[in-house]
Amino acid sequence: MVLRLIIATLLVLVGPSAVCAQVDDGRQAMVERIDELLAEQWQAAEVEPAEPVDDAAFLRRAYLDLVGTLPTVSQARRFLADASPDKRERLVEQLLASPRHAQHLATVWQHRMLSRGADAEQMGAVLGVHRWLRRQFARNQRFDNLVADLLVSTGGGEQGPALFYTALELKPEELATKTAQLFLGLQIGCAQCHDHPFDHWTQDDFWGYAAFFARLRSGPAMAGAVQLIDESEGEVRLPDTETIVPPKYPGTPRSEETLGGSRRRQLAIWTVSQQNPYLARATVNWAWKHLFGRGLVEPVDDLSANNPPSHPQLFAELGEYFIECGFDLRELFRVLMRTQAYQLSSRTPYDVAPELFAAMAVKPLTPEQIYDALAWMLDAPPATDESAAVGGLADPRRQQFVAQLGSGSQDAAQFELGVPQALLLMNGELIAAACDPNRSRLLESLAAPLFDDDERLEILYLATLTRLPSEQERDSTRAFIEESDDGNRAAALADVLWALLNNGEFLLNH
Amino acid sequence: MSRRRKKLAGRTLDRRTLLRYTGLSLLGASGSGWFPAWAGAAHRQSERRQCVLLWMNGGPSQIDTFDMKPDHANGGQFNEIETSVAGLRISEHLPQLARRAEHLAIVRSLSTKEGDHRRGTFLMRTGQPPGGPITYPAIGSSLSKELGDADSDLPAYVTIAPFDQFGRDAYGPGFLGPAHAPLVVAARAQNGEDEQPADGSPYARLGVDALELPAGISLETVSRRRDLWRGLQDEFLAGRQVPAALAHDTAYRRAERMLRSPARAAFELSEEPDAVRERYGAGRFGQGCLLARRLIEIGVPCVEVTLGDFEGGDTHWDTHANNFDVVRRLCGELDAGWSALLDDLADRGLLQTTTFLWMGEFGRTPRINGNAGRDHFPAAWTCVFAGGGIRGGQAYGSTSDDGMEVASDRVEVGDVLATLCRATGIDPGTENHAQLGRPIRIAEGNPIDALLA
Repeated sequence: MVLRLIIATLLVLVGPSAVCAQVDDGRQAMVERIDELLAEQWQAAEVEPAEPVDDAAFLRRAYLDLVGTLPTVSQARRFLADASPDKRERLVEQLLASPRHAQHLATVWQHRMLSRGADAEQMGAVLGVHRWLRRQFARNQRFDNLVADLLVSTGGGEQGPALFYTALELKPEELATKTAQLFLGLQIGCAQCHDHPFDHWTQDDFWGYAAFFARLRSGPAMAGAVQLIDESEGEVRLPDTETIVPPKYPGTPRSEETLGGSRRRQLAIWTVSQQNPYLARATVNWAWKHLFGRGLVEPVDDLSANNPPSHPQLFAELGEYFIECGFDLRELFRVLMRTQAYQLSSRTPYDVAPELFAAMAVKPLTPEQIYDALAWMLDAPPATDESAAVGGLADPRRQQFVAQLGSGSQDAAQFELGVPQALLLMNGELIAAACDPNRSRLLESLAAPLFDDDERLEILYLATLTRLPSEQERDSTRAFIEESDDGNRAAALADVLWALLNNGEFLLNH
Repeated sequence: MSRRRKKLAGRTLDRRTLLRYTGLSLLGASGSGWFPAWAGAAHRQSERRQCVLLWMNGGPSQIDTFDMKPDHANGGQFNEIETSVAGLRISEHLPQLARRAEHLAIVRSLSTKEGDHRRGTFLMRTGQPPGGPITYPAIGSSLSKELGDADSDLPAYVTIAPFDQFGRDAYGPGFLGPAHAPLVVAARAQNGEDEQPADGSPYARLGVDALELPAGISLETVSRRRDLWRGLQDEFLAGRQVPAALAHDTAYRRAERMLRSPARAAFELSEEPDAVRERYGAGRFGQGCLLARRLIEIGVPCVEVTLGDFEGGDTHWDTHANNFDVVRRLCGELDAGWSALLDDLADRGLLQTTTFLWMGEFGRTPRINGNAGRDHFPAAWTCVFAGGGIRGGQAYGSTSDDGMEVASDRVEVGDVLATLCRATGIDPGTENHAQLGRPIRIAEGNPIDALLA
């Protein structure tokens, strides 16, 4: 009963703006606290943090992390020219509020929720889940509410969550594995077949959790829409036995007390309640990794007792903060991106252990980010964000490129280029077109007599690396262009563009 | 043969020296003359073997190929024939393989649980049931990771004309990461026609798009771009000696070296005499086997050739209807390509160092359906090992007279993959770390001693 009251209170407290007004004073304190706790470990390890990052690199990083694309040349010029001291904070606010932020988070979470190897048959589910996620992120839905909605969804008017269930074939074991991994940060799926040798998850934990999905069925489709039904019967059994496993929340003793409603509703209520320590921590850990390249707990879906965080105090306080501000993802990003830690250079004079966060991590761009960064050099940008969202996902050329670049990993930070991928970038059709003076919109625009070579070079650097060329780069590249005779000026610029696009500075987020 | 090449072939140079020596000048020239020297270098070091996976897309009929039931109604219309091994009999439509049966170890007691293309493909190619939190690598990626040399100029894993519409996950490197993805050799289609070129060449065209320079890009342009690239790259790397940045740099350096390596020449099948190309068979599979030979010769650790696509017509093993016509035709391709590959590798002394595994995603029903077809059947079916590390000339395990169940020595997918590992000199218990941080063995089963040489 107490539990139900707590939930009722939680659910009444909707309206992220109202909640966050209360924590506004706490924001700066949290930012400083993060830096303080990180600095304690730098001192203990006798490590000097990297230099603060310059504006250009901050701009590039913030764009890639929050909206997944690079800024345009004019956006970059405007930001670099802005002399006001709060321009970084304003940039973050502007990006968080943009539809492209919702779009990007939807892409990230869609990859987490559904297998990356989606093909044509699963495209419907991908689009449906993506659309639903985008709407949730666009209105900055409380993250606990988003999870609860997903857990109790019955389809009908809102197909996104239902498509998640059907993509996993409504199988209790797959739904249990996936939801525990995503929302609890727990690998109980590994205990499916046998008790996990390395931690305390047992088969009983796994099947007890899976039992919450045991009564889920798909009903008759109505007007093509998936319907989910929670029936009053249905159990899971231990594999190769007849032993029925009753429902049980992970990490808690089995209780006869029922929270009422369908099994999925009971799971949803527990998941968003204070009885469940995992949802806030798992989400904070994911957001930290999204920005800093690795989680405070790594791997991010192993929040078990024998895998402690690198910064226990920081992890606990940040989790509390996220709960206090009402599971507000934008507030979480806002706080993390205001820290000095986020605004460190990725360049260090010596090797630093990555779990110290004493320099910004270097993260590979995802195949989607590479495609999007190249595609605008070729085609006119889509008219609206809605069409960009759907068109981008369904664009066969994008799908093909992403498939060829082939990240089997759901974990973008693990995307590591191999030789086939490098060959594809060096010689593949997409970069060939982007570097072809007759097909590249970027190179075409540079051919205009309005520009001198210095200006052309600036545009190429801003369009790819989001920075101006250094003096040395100006000199050497100018010399390179002048060595080619006049007829080949376009070809020389194409060569420069090719070298920029294949460079680590372009293909990595630093 | 030019004087320069002759001179090179006659000298014992290590691979890197040879590379420096040859540079780009030999790219267009035939590689065959000096392939044996490379192969020697590749094999000197250890007992590890190379590996050829023959993937039968759609699920091949065991009862019409390697596990005949001539005395039962389920046996269908094909006859069995004697092979070079006394008492071992296979289909009349595999006559050339029958004469080479001393190399084959036929496993007739394979039993799995997945009868859906997508799920079966994932299971057989990764050794793991589909679903679950871990993206398992295809066995080719796991093997090539162990067998390959990270500093090599050659691709570690090449897959020829793959058909990944039954789930890309089953064709990828999974948690091993893109560095262990296969280099894909595509069947070239032109204007919706088949892949045979307009110049009247009768052979299927196979190629790696990314190994060819884009139209209008000369080698001179490439080296000009590379110099520019290197300058930028060095600047970026200074102070960023971190895994992601180094991985990028390494991949590009290796890709660049590959562009100059014999791997590129190996893809030029037109260098082979017509008589050889015909012997392998003109289709994708035959030409793919020929390409596999050239790749094995230069030391590529793991090559996969697919037989069966779903691009129209009865061109795959999913014979729900018209089973016998289709299987007869596919057997013709299989018989020619695989036999020629066995012969050529044996001639070059490479068969003992190359392990083969032939399989699809499942077998087919012993019972013949109303459309003269056979349906999906994972309960009792066949895969075939051959070549190095394998005790050839045997059938292992058996099925009941009607073919409906395993009668002896039941084998599971994990055992098949573990046997493949052991035959290539890899411990199947070798662990990699999945994205969840937990150690995962390459293959979960037990190697079958009776199959190992």
